[in-house]
Amino acid sequence: MRNDKAWLAVLPVVIVVAFTAIVPLMTVVNYSVQDIFDVDTRIFVGLDWYRETLRDPRFIDALLRQVLFSGLVLAIEVPLGIWIARAVPREGPATAAFLIVLAIPLLIPWNVVGTIWQIFARPDIGLLGAAVTAIGLSYNYTGSALDAWITLLLMDVWHWTSLVALLAFAGLASIPRACYQAAELDGANAWQVFRYVELPRLRAVLTIAVMLRLMDSLMIYTEPFVLTGGGPGNSTTFLSQYLTTMAVGQFDLGPAAAFSVLYFLLILLLCWLFYTSVMKGGADDR
Amino acid sequence: MAAIEIRGLQHRYTEAEAVLDGIDLTLSDGEAHAVLGGSGAGKTTLLNLLAGLLQPRAGTIRFDGRDVTRLGGAGRNVAQVFQFPVLYPSLCVAGNIGFALGNRGWKKPAVRRRVAEVAGLLEIAPLLGRRPRSLSLYEKQLVAIARALARPDVAVVLLDEPLTAVEPATKWRLRRALKTIQQQLRLTMVYVTHDQSEALTFADRITMLHRGAALQTGTPSELYEAPSHTEVARFIGSPGMNLVESEVRGGQLCVGQKAIAPTGLSDGPCVTGFRPEWATIETGVAAVREGIPIAVDTVRPLGTEDGNPVGLVTASLDGKPVHVRQRLEKLQAGSAYLHLDPERLVTYRNEQLATHAG
Repeated sequence: MRNDKAWLAVLPVVIVVAFTAIVPLMTVVNYSVQDIFDVDTRIFVGLDWYRETLRDPRFIDALLRQVLFSGLVLAIEVPLGIWIARAVPREGPATAAFLIVLAIPLLIPWNVVGTIWQIFARPDIGLLGAAVTAIGLSYNYTGSALDAWITLLLMDVWHWTSLVALLAFAGLASIPRACYQAAELDGANAWQVFRYVELPRLRAVLTIAVMLRLMDSLMIYTEPFVLTGGGPGNSTTFLSQYLTTMAVGQFDLGPAAAFSVLYFLLILLLCWLFYTSVMKGGADDR
Repeated sequence: MAAIEIRGLQHRYTEAEAVLDGIDLTLSDGEAHAVLGGSGAGKTTLLNLLAGLLQPRAGTIRFDGRDVTRLGGAGRNVAQVFQFPVLYPSLCVAGNIGFALGNRGWKKPAVRRRVAEVAGLLEIAPLLGRRPRSLSLYEKQLVAIARALARPDVAVVLLDEPLTAVEPATKWRLRRALKTIQQQLRLTMVYVTHDQSEALTFADRITMLHRGAALQTGTPSELYEAPSHTEVARFIGSPGMNLVESEVRGGQLCVGQKAIAPTGLSDGPCVTGFRPEWATIETGVAAVREGIPIAVDTVRPLGTEDGNPVGLVTASLDGKPVHVRQRLEKLQAGSAYLHLDPERLVTYRNEQLATHAG
């Protein structure tokens, strides 16, 4: 039986979503096809801003940096997180202590994380920076692009590996004991236990972990802004930082809007690609 | 397959209470053995000790005379089927069945041959290429059983309530498949269950566990006819054995003040046990002379036997319920009397079997 009144029930959600997502997004799309001088003077420019953005070498560089950063972050944090989760005792009083320690980095505000590492890594007074310098290595994250990248990666790994570890731990904790016992009786070695008992059952939580880390790392702003300010040079300037400079610093609303739309589509595309590939691979698997 | 000898096996999780307290058990090669008991009896602990997943506090376990007590799960070469189907989700059915073979250094063609053989035995050959995820619970448990049967040299196959997760309609199919294969391959199997009918139909011999102690080991009919402990008497049978307070007076066993049969027991109180089908409740004048007065509470019809209606009669003897399975024609309105077959009575003192006739 059809009952069109049911649409009324959905209406509140539609209104909320419209005002929080659709209307702002359309506003941005609207800006992106105009050249705006002031409130009354605006010229329709079509896709010019998109063309310009895609040809902008600074945009391309920031994009490549962004993709490289996300790739590295995922490649380090996911295996490391799983490894940590496996090392946490499954039961007993130590479990709670481990989980609390793991959760601490996640509770720290992002700009504070940046500040902590900015001081921690300083070659003159920072514990890490001074220690590295003391053993004779030349290290300066404000001077060397490589050092800045290493510091940024270290900071992100410190900040976010816990998220992967906690999710993986939750997944591991839900695996019944009998699964391990069966593997023991079947003569499985440690690698096989991980590969055939644990990994397939972690698929769902790892998908969520990778999605969260992928989206967040693509949008990273605060921490590099505090730590390196995008430098040295532009070596750690990622998309969001370049966008902020453009929109807030230079007030180029049209190009910034086109940039935003491209940025949004990029994140959407990457997450969609990842999600569909995982779901397709796992269709007959569990 | 191996003969199994368990001596003085003891286990405790905490110092305070022993989960298993001195189990002695001998299984011959190719025996289907059921371990029966309620929850908390120590059944699964016994199975885990046999598998090598747990180490006992005391006692020895021997497979064909070889002491395996200190060997772990991989070293003992045992297979186990768990309460719910335990499979490797990312491997296909064939991969699951052959997993343990590959780990023991079998070559690929040999594994494939053996997997096909076992799959044929359980009639799951069409499933070999499928992933566990696409199987029904019943099919998954079949695959888990196939994996347990894959190693031809396995010492013992352990089954931990393997039918629990399977829906009732397919339970009997799985049980029959298991029994057939056990007989065909002459497998030594230990089958843990809380369901006495499963144990009675599956096993050559049964061990009844209660609070960590083995109360009785014997064939299904031994446990049924002459339970050595009142707990066994109560647990086995549906409903269990009737146990009524009684007394020995001057060499006569008296139930409800009525002398039933001569007995060799010394005078004093005892418990008399009889199965629901070993007694009848009758009404009418003829019934009075030998019978014990009893009050009938309910009658549950159970269909007919040789054209006569039969039923389960629940009655009260000294305020305690007594179940009798009998022809219903003997039961009419009027005073009812319980008749016991003196040839088929068992008596207990201190919960232990004192005498049994027949």
